[in-house]
This record gives sequence, C-alpha cells and structure tokens, in this order.
Amino acid sequence: MKATIFDIQRNSFVDGPGIRTTVFFKGCNLKCAWCHNPESQNTKSELMVYSNKCIQCGKCTEKCPYNLKNCDLCGKCALFCLQEARMICGKNYTVDEVVSEVLKDKAYYEGSGGGVTLSGGECMLQIDFATELLKECKKNNIHTAIDTAGNVPFEYFMRVLPYTDLFLYDIKCFDKSLHKKYTGVSNELILGNLKRLLSLKSNIWIRIPIIPSVNDNAGELLKIKDFIYKNGEVEKIELLPYHKIGEHKYEALGMELHSFDLLSKERLLELQNIFNI
Amino acid sequence: MTERIEKLCELTLSGKMFVNPIKTKFDVNDSSLSKIDMETKRLCEYILNQEPMLTPYSSMTGMFNFDGSVVGDAFQRSGHAGTAEALKKYYLNKIENLSTMEWQHATADYERVLDIGISGIINEIDKSLKCHSLPEEIEFLTGIKMVACTLIQWAEKCSKAALELSKKVYDDNYKQNLLKLSSALLNVPKNPPSSFYEAVLCIYVCFSANPDSVGTLDRYLSPFYFKDIKNGVLTHDEAKEYLQELYLMLQATTHIDSPHFTRGGQSHFCIGGYLSNGENAFNELSELIVEALIDLPTYIPQITLRWTKSTPRSVLRFMMDSERRDPHKRIAFTNDEKRIKCYTEICKIPYERAVKYTTVGCNEPAFLGAIAGSNSKGNLLRSIETLFHKHGDEICNFDGFDELYNFYEKILFLDLQKILDYDDQYNLLRAKDINYISSLFMCDCVENAKSVTQGGGNTAIASPMLIGIVNVIDSLTVVKELVYDKKLFSMSDLVSALKSNWVGYDDLRTLILKKCSFFGNDADVSNEVGNRLYNSFYNYLYGKRNIFGYQWLIGDLAGYNEHYKWFGEDTKATPDGRYDGDLMKFGLGQNEGKDKEGLTALLNSVCKLDKTGIGCGSTVTNISIDKKMVEDNEQFEKLVDVFETYFKNGGVHFQLTYVSKEDLINAQKCPNDYKRIRVRVSGFSDYFVNLNDHIQNDIIKRTDYKN
Repeated sequence: MKATIFDIQRNSFVDGPGIRTTVFFKGCNLKCAWCHNPESQNTKSELMVYSNKCIQCGKCTEKCPYNLKNCDLCGKCALFCLQEARMICGKNYTVDEVVSEVLKDKAYYEGSGGGVTLSGGECMLQIDFATELLKECKKNNIHTAIDTAGNVPFEYFMRVLPYTDLFLYDIKCFDKSLHKKYTGVSNELILGNLKRLLSLKSNIWIRIPIIPSVNDNAGELLKIKDFIYKNGEVEKIELLPYHKIGEHKYEALGMELHSFDLLSKERLLELQNIFNI
Repeated sequence: MTERIEKLCELTLSGKMFVNPIKTKFDVNDSSLSKIDMETKRLCEYILNQEPMLTPYSSMTGMFNFDGSVVGDAFQRSGHAGTAEALKKYYLNKIENLSTMEWQHATADYERVLDIGISGIINEIDKSLKCHSLPEEIEFLTGIKMVACTLIQWAEKCSKAALELSKKVYDDNYKQNLLKLSSALLNVPKNPPSSFYEAVLCIYVCFSANPDSVGTLDRYLSPFYFKDIKNGVLTHDEAKEYLQELYLMLQATTHIDSPHFTRGGQSHFCIGGYLSNGENAFNELSELIVEALIDLPTYIPQITLRWTKSTPRSVLRFMMDSERRDPHKRIAFTNDEKRIKCYTEICKIPYERAVKYTTVGCNEPAFLGAIAGSNSKGNLLRSIETLFHKHGDEICNFDGFDELYNFYEKILFLDLQKILDYDDQYNLLRAKDINYISSLFMCDCVENAKSVTQGGGNTAIASPMLIGIVNVIDSLTVVKELVYDKKLFSMSDLVSALKSNWVGYDDLRTLILKKCSFFGNDADVSNEVGNRLYNSFYNYLYGKRNIFGYQWLIGDLAGYNEHYKWFGEDTKATPDGRYDGDLMKFGLGQNEGKDKEGLTALLNSVCKLDKTGIGCGSTVTNISIDKKMVEDNEQFEKLVDVFETYFKNGGVHFQLTYVSKEDLINAQKCPNDYKRIRVRVSGFSDYFVNLNDHIQNDIIKRTDYKN
C-alpha cells in the first residue's frame, strides 16, 4: 500500500503539541480560496515551475525527453535544475518508509511531548494508508495527531480513532453559504462530524484560519464558539491568521491566486479575546 | 545597573579603563645575571613600577598590562622570545597547506589562590625547593617566589594609593570605597579572602598574571557568597555589582583599538557542570553571574553553561532565555556528559581535575590552572585532495567503498601525523621561553619546578583543530552513495571532473548537489561515513601524546582567523561539489544549505558523528535560527526541548544566532542600517557588518531554520 505524500517535515513546532514530524498527504476535497498549500489539492503528483528562479540556462529543455512539450513526471528537468526552479511535487511512500522517517526524531518527541501529525491536503482521503500509519506509530509509542478539514464520512473518523491521540480540526466558516463560496463545499458534514467527535470526548484542538473580509468578524466566530461549547469540550482553540507565504506556489502550479489583506496584530488579539485565548 | 556601574561602563566602552603600561628603566648591570635571574628581576621591577588605576567609581584596582620589555603573561606572551620566533615562522603562515600555528588560551587556578593566598603559594614554593636539586629548577622556583612576593608588594602599593586618594576626596561614598579597597588589598591576594568582595578583588588583582579565562567562577566564589549572604554582610545586589566590576575589567583588558574589543572570545568561562562529588555546580550564584553579565552592554566576557544529566530543564531554559535576551551573544552551551567521559577515559585525567574543565577562547577546553595544550589548525581536506588528485588512476580500479576507505585512511594518517608533528614543533619553539608570572598560578608548575610553557602542568589536552571535517565526510559520502551504492556515475568520471575543476562536468556536479545525502540530513549513509572517520581518528590518536605528554584529541573550530579560507584557496576541487580554491567548512553546524531536513536532522547527525569521544577537543556547533522562532514564547519552549534532547543524545556543544537571512542580505547592502546585528562566527561573536565578505557570505549560507 502506498500514499501520495508531498512533504515529510521534521522539526515542526506548529502542528500540535511539542516537536513533531508532519506528514503532508496530497489531495483535498476542499478548495479554500486562501489555501497556503495549493500543491496539496491535486491527488496526483505534479510539476511545479518557479519562473522567478529560472535563469534560462536551458538545462531542462536539454534533459527533457519530450523537449518540454509533454510531461510524464520523469523528473529529469528538476534533477538538473540547480536553481530549484522546477520540482516534482508528490511522491509515493509505503507505510514503512514513512514510519522510518518518523522514528528518526523519536527522542525529540519524548523530550517535548511531541509526535507525528498527519496533515495535507486531507490525509483522511487516503484512509487505509492513514489508518495503517497511525497504527504503526502507536506500536512505537509515538503520540499521533490528525490535521483534518473534517469533510469525510464519519466512518473514517471511527477507523482512525483508536490510534489517534489528538485531532486538529479546522473550521473555516460557520455560515453555510460563506463556506460553500470560499471552499467549494458546504460545511454540514464538517460540523456534523465535529459534533459526533465531541460527543465521543476525543481530544480536539479547533483551528480557525482567520481570513480578512471572510470570517474575521465577531458574528462568525461567536457562532463557532457557541457550536463548540454547546456540543462538548475542546483542549484548545487556535486562530491562524491568514498569510501570504504560499502565494508563489500558485504561479508555479499554474493556478489562479486569490489574495486577501493581512490581519493586523491588534485585530487578531481582539478576535482571540472572543475565545479567551 | 547602579549609577556607579553605569559610569564604569561608560569609561570601559570608551576605552578609558585600559591600564596603559608604564615604561620601566632597568639596571643595565643586571645583564651579567643568569637568564632566569635577570628576567625575574626585571619582571619584578616592571610590576612595581606600574601605577594602579583608580576612578571615582572604582571599588577595585590592581590590573596592569605588559609592554613587551619583560617576560609577561602566558596568554599575550609579550617578551617571550621563543613564541615570537614561532609566531614569525608559523602564525597565519600555512605550512604545506596543512598546518598553521595559533594562540594558546589558559585559565589560572583561582581556586588555589582563594584557598591559600599568594603567601600559601610561597610556602608551596619553599616546599618544592626542598624536593628539587637541578640548578635550573632551583633558579625557576627562586624566580617565581620573587614574582610572588612582588605581587604582594604590588597589592600593598595599590592599597597605599587608594588610602592616599581617600584623603583627598570629599564624596563620602567614594571615600568609603577607597578605604574599603585599601584595607582589603592588605589582605588579598596575600592571604585567603575573608569576604565575597575580597574574593572578587583577589581575582581582579591576579588576573594580570593570566589575562584570559577566569575559569569556573561560580564554584570557587560560592563559599564566599553563601557565607556572606548567610551572615547578612552581603546583599544580592552588592554581589552583582562586584561581579559587574570584575567583568568590566575583563572587557577593559582588551585595548579599544583591537578588533577583539567587540568579540567575545577572550575571557570566556564556564558555569554549572559536575562537581567532584558528582553534584551539579549550578546554583543561585551561577544565576547571578549570568544576570550580572546580561545587564552590561559589553562584549567580553562570554559564558558557557556546562549541562549535565542532572541539570534541570528550568536551568537550561533560564540560560537560553538569557541568551535570547542578550543582544551581544555572550552565552553558549556545552555537555559535561560526553566531555568528562572523554577526559577521564581517553585522556586519563583524574575525575577531580576533569570536572574542573572550562571552555576558553573560542571553545577550546582547558582545565582550571592549565593551558590549552595545542591550538594549531590543520587542513583535513588536503587528504581528500591527495586521494583524488594524486591517486586518481589507482582509485578507479577499486572494487568498493571499503577498499577506497582503507586506502584513504593511510593518507589521512600520514596527514594527521604531520599535523601533530607541526604542532609539537610550535610547542618546542614556545618551550624555549620560561614563563614566571602565569606559572605561579598554574597547577603543578610549582611542584614540578617547571614553566607552564615547558609542560609544567600535568593536566591538559592537545587538540589541533581540523578544518574541513564536514567537507571530508561529504566527499566520501558522494563516493559511497553515488559511485558505489547507486552507481549514478563512475569513479573515473568523478576523478576527471575534479581534475578539470568541474569544467565540462556541470551535470555531474549538479547531480551530486541534488542527490547526495550530505552531512546534516540525518541520512544513514553520511552518518556512517562520519562515524567511520571519527573511528579512524580515535584509532590513530588514542594513547598518543604530544611532547608534553598531553593526549591528542581533535577539534573542528576556526578562531578569529580565516583558516577555512586560506586552506581552501590552495585546495583543489573536491567531490562534495567544491571548486578549486573555494572556502572549506569549519565546525559541525549548518552545512552551507546542504542540510535540508531541518534542525532535528542536523542535530541528530551531529550527535551520531562521534561515538568515541575523540572529538571532545575544541569543537563548535553554530546554529542559525530565524528570530521569529524565539520571539514566539510557545515556539521558544519547544526550542529549549530540542536542545535538551540534543544534549541527552550526546551533542557536545551549541551556540545560536537569531537573524533572518533577509536581514543579513540587506545588511550587506546597507551596513549603516544594520549596525546592531550580532552573530556567532566561530567560537566568538561580533557585529555582522564588522566581518569581512567571506565570513558574511558563510553566515548567510548557513541554513536558517524556520517553522
């Protein structure tokens, strides 16, 4: 069994407690307008071309069997591009391969209360692999977390539940039409799954991306807060301010970029006060 | 900071606290005396001819500097003819592009002088005189006894000057300070101090005898501190002021016109670590020692925390927090577990002495009352150059990596031996000098009736610093992984590429840079190659000792000087992608952007490198981290966890720089706008804009880890 993964990031300080290794699965069934990992959306491997890094040396054309007119993702153009202007995003891994990467930092997890986080994309779209990976991590006494947008059948949650110590659960918008407008899907399944997960008393951190002009208002956030507290308890609520770090990837993928304003520090503090954080 | 310290600080940072030497006229008839008699006589005359510096803000005095007219201390080595000859021949002068001579650091045995005073040392000299009979030994002991007596007289002279001045001043605080100082100088350094103040003053006065590291300050000052605090005769704030006055003197010792004035490598000392009873030395005073330093906007001294398994996380956190708050980058970290194991098991140093090590200068280990026994720099990458450029045809016929490595190891050992031989040669020249004033405060020199420059101390290690260790690991990894394991290209292609300095082999070089699992990525292949190299070091060096009988270890740092540039200039292309003449790598920190797997991967590679301990000489691991990571408190806590785990895993050393790559690049373009950025260079720190282009580019190339 293999999964398409676009990055295994060691030494992650931001995807759950302690020091973590985050495994980024490729493929997502949401298309968030602000997505900072657009390369995670497509299920398949793809070529990314950063034109700003290209120095027109012609090496890629020279190495490509098809003169850059076709691409079978052989990766030769990327291999010989010293400027890192071309790269193949997405690689197939077996469970053992991922586990052996994850185990390399076990001492750091133990020293910090960290572990592994499955992220993406939507890691649960590759549910068989994700379940096996989590099972193996638990066999090795590694703390496990799943970073999910929640837009999958609840049955998937039930499959990973025995091997998952923490869910990092994203809520983008509470308003259904707003959610549909900016992510491409309704949030009914997402909120329904969260409600059921809360009822099972799972460990959950809620993560809310704060996007100016979309959900950076008290009305939206208060509704999210009410929903959470009405249905159970969570360990933590994190507000993740919108950033532009991933913008250059849109051009590299040939995707259309939607840009938003940045959130001020003061505004973020005001919004955090809503959740008493 | 009190007003008094603020004023002293202003004077220090404007260079006004430097004690200018006073020229001394010597009796011309003394040239008929024996060498030792003449040198000690002149030394004594010189010391007593100096004038103490007293400012309206001082509560201490007694510092003096040498001018080269007499045989001075063992650090600056002014007036040391043998050292002058060695410097002329070998300092900053590449020998066979393999070795250069460097400065030697040391720390005096302040514990002993606080314990028995100089009068106690004089008693020890008298005892030693009864045990020795060779004329040169008797002469040496008689000479240093005279110097010891002179230092007592010097303190009396300082006392008198303070008393005289007290009669002329009207400010009551100033008058009281002078009277206290005058009275204390009649007791110390002659006798053991009776208070914390006198203990600090004793170090202050004796520092001129060895103006380098103050050693393990917290442990030898602790008895005085806790006694005075308990008896209610000292407050926390007073103790802090005395320490700050001491630090300002350490800063003032370096002349303001010296480029070293803004660098932290001099007067580097340690706190914490194992005591001889196995307990941890870090205590309330250690914390105060750090707090006192962080308040001062100075560059010198520099403090290293000695971490042990019993160091609480809160202590490491306190030190890392102090470090992140310190814009002058004066704090570093080292691991006792691996070091003490090395010093006791490999170097056979008794445990009680091994626990008294301190890192001095740019992180050279020395023991309290001992010298860093070597300090030359060696070009390790020359062995790889020889392998590929002189034996290119032979190695193309080898069957596999083992055969290649065994062949390489022979070349490595030949170069290592030459590096050791040159190191001995430097020491042999320096051993022509007899040092009197520093030897007085060094362990064993009195008992052995021998100068510290001639191997008078029993405890030291000899650690030449090998530049290019990571280049060697990377070069061998390229061969193992890409030539033999993956067979991406042939050995003859690689040899041809190197011989043509990669001209016509761009693709091969790109393939190497893209595909090789270089050091720092926690890849099995480079970890194993690194291990094998360190095992070779161990096998060759274990049991081998330098001319003074000190065990050889290896180190990897560069000091103030650019050995990595100079050696690199004459080293041909190497398989790690280096062009002919390119810089080489020093230290074990970030690998010029070749480490792509993040901080934990780099630290794992460093921890896994040396299982033998042979690398516990002068070593440095520089880590550059994006400043945002320490500005966020939650992320900072994780950073503390990372480095605690690193030490638990066997890392020996680390020091940090927090900057963004963008800031550094902008600083190169507009230095005036970025004057305040301070970075770790080798074992020292300096303002980024003060560094030359080569070092600046090297620092920019170090990967900065973000999240």
